[in-house]
Amino acid sequence: MYLNTESEKQNTYDAIVVGTGISGGWAAKELTEKGLKTLVLERGRMVKHPDYPTATKDPWDFPYNDRLTAEELKDYEKQNRTGYTVKQSTKHWWVKDTENPYTEVKRFDWMRGYHVGGRSIMWGRQSYRLSEMDFAANAKDGIGVDWPVRYNELSPWYDYVEQFIGVSGQNEGIPNLPDGKFLPPMELNCAELDLKGKLADKFNRHLTIGRTAHATAPLPHSPQRGTCQFRNLCIRGCPYGGYFSSVSSTLPAAEKTGNMTLRPNSIVYELIYDEQKSKAKGVRVLDAETGEHLEFFAKVVFLCASTMGSTFVLLNSTSNRFPNGFGNDSGELGHNVMDHHLAVGAGGEVEGFEDKYYTGRRANGFYIPRYRNIGSDKRDYIRGFGYQGGASRQGWHNMVKELSAFGADLKKIAGAPGKWSIGMGGFGEMLPYHENFVSLNKEVKDKYGLPTLTFDVEFKENELKMRVDMQKDAIEMLEAAGVKNVYGYDGKGAPGLGIHEMGTARMGKDPKTSVLNKFNQVHACKNVFVTDGSFMASAACQNPSLTYMAFTARAANHAVEELKKQNL
Amino acid sequence: MDRREALRRTALLMGGIISAPTIAGILNGCAAKPSLDWKPQFLSEDQASLVTQLADIIIPKTDTPGAKDVGIPGFIDLMVKDVYSKEDQQKFLDGLKAFDEDAKKEFGDAFLDLSPEKQTEYAKKTHDAAIKENAEQWPFILKVKELTVAGFFTSEAGATQVLQYEAVPGAYHGCLPLAEAGNGKTWAT
Repeated sequence: MYLNTESEKQNTYDAIVVGTGISGGWAAKELTEKGLKTLVLERGRMVKHPDYPTATKDPWDFPYNDRLTAEELKDYEKQNRTGYTVKQSTKHWWVKDTENPYTEVKRFDWMRGYHVGGRSIMWGRQSYRLSEMDFAANAKDGIGVDWPVRYNELSPWYDYVEQFIGVSGQNEGIPNLPDGKFLPPMELNCAELDLKGKLADKFNRHLTIGRTAHATAPLPHSPQRGTCQFRNLCIRGCPYGGYFSSVSSTLPAAEKTGNMTLRPNSIVYELIYDEQKSKAKGVRVLDAETGEHLEFFAKVVFLCASTMGSTFVLLNSTSNRFPNGFGNDSGELGHNVMDHHLAVGAGGEVEGFEDKYYTGRRANGFYIPRYRNIGSDKRDYIRGFGYQGGASRQGWHNMVKELSAFGADLKKIAGAPGKWSIGMGGFGEMLPYHENFVSLNKEVKDKYGLPTLTFDVEFKENELKMRVDMQKDAIEMLEAAGVKNVYGYDGKGAPGLGIHEMGTARMGKDPKTSVLNKFNQVHACKNVFVTDGSFMASAACQNPSLTYMAFTARAANHAVEELKKQNL
Repeated sequence: MDRREALRRTALLMGGIISAPTIAGILNGCAAKPSLDWKPQFLSEDQASLVTQLADIIIPKTDTPGAKDVGIPGFIDLMVKDVYSKEDQQKFLDGLKAFDEDAKKEFGDAFLDLSPEKQTEYAKKTHDAAIKENAEQWPFILKVKELTVAGFFTSEAGATQVLQYEAVPGAYHGCLPLAEAGNGKTWAT
């Protein structure tokens, strides 16, 4: 492609951000607010707050009871593996596997949405800090590489992002689950409060209301956002701005500065490396609508294309300097894939509270922070897990197998709130293993003719041993709390199902064993920052998005400081 | 009952405007057989009539609308047509046939030819046996019940009249006396 100097000038910005999800939105906000003319590139279509097509529909507005037809399902064979994400009301947020293929040496559930806002629209919104214990864990256990960052360095950035996005939660003073700057907590219901008391009495374990990125009070700095309306339709997008997404929060903030150029339908497939200056010069883009190949230039590039998205761009960016992928001197790029392992836990029926009920739909549950391998507790595996769960009264779903629910009686029975049921599922830490990796696949092409990714990732002994406890402990706690008909489950699942993929461009102190430094800069090319989940040196067991946000804001701050010092 | 005679009289009263094939059709069925007010896209007319009766037995009209009133038979037809896999469609049709044949064995008449009382009795008996058996593969009666229940309670009438529904609750209160939780009925969502 030939570009004359005039068009090169037109395509030049101070900064380029690749991706508009959790991390990209934060990079866009921080860089533009600090005065950088920033081009924000998104591979998918435009989405603008508050335009979410299904957000205010009632259950009866959807055909097929909100299920996909057999014909539609053919396009979402992998995206549908969660069983809860792809519906008539949400299908527009998920990629078609038929258009965006990937290869599985072993099963890997790669869930994606290609549009402005990315998965920040459909995310689970649970927001927990990592603790000093988590940042020190790799060094302590001799696993992977040591985090080059400790909690005290990150803590002010957690404060900063929590206050901006709005996180509802309860401070508890638990050392391995640091307190935060929270909006008012949501309520636990009767059955959950009962369990909380019993876990404290019998196990000395904590149960707290989920910490979730919902505005339970107004956020004056984001006037386009209202408060949570307790509809629990978050995954469709929230026209009230009740929860944090890039579309409702960070991108409008970036837009307001006048410094952002947001370009959707722009698939970044390669970084341009300047061998003379030993710097990245910009990015190559395929316009998804016109098929045109374009180049854009900037002083700094923030890769925020999601863990696998950014890893793809890095692997696909080869040069004389980086024959094995951009910044891949260590050989760790694409390796150490992690997720959280889940779909294991227990449930049962709670007796009593028949005269109690709740109003509203709380898109949140309770959280039991990690207690295993802490203090004197020692297991036959390392690290640990937390639980997320909730209690509710059974409704019409239970009618099908209810013997007496037939004819006029069915209506009567369904109309009266059913028994209380309670359940909890574990979120376990997965260790970084070099052998768990993704690689570039040039044989299988996507619908644009670009190479794709091949996944070779599995859970190993530490995860499998941990799962035994994850089920056993859940059963034990529920039974001790007097819950009846307790059942345990282990759905096995596969890596990816947690939709928390991370670790493929880990940060570390040593360029020989890591891809990024402590400020998310590529060791060997400091004007490229990677701030999505790929930087994670360990997974901890907490939901990771809040940590991506804190690191992104910190990295953007560092980038601007370094630019001022003319170090980039 | 002597429905053939009754029909002949009706035909005479109507001046013979009912065509011969229609009479034949009616004669092959039962006077109690409902005329379909919807056009099935997957099921045959007879299959659709059976499903219609069954859905309305499972959730009948009372002081609130029943399955038929909110269009559940058509919903079931569409679900089986578009959402079910080919394999599940075949199982559904096989199950329907077996359900009907078992009715013949037991009462000597096809399901649609039974009196409403006998239809209800047979459906309830089949339903109870299926739940007690608790087989991994749900038999026809439970599949129809599943579709009926899911369609009905996500319909506007089911959600708002039999259950209670609030589109925008605005708040969550976790532990209220039942009487203070809206009208005290089960929340639809």
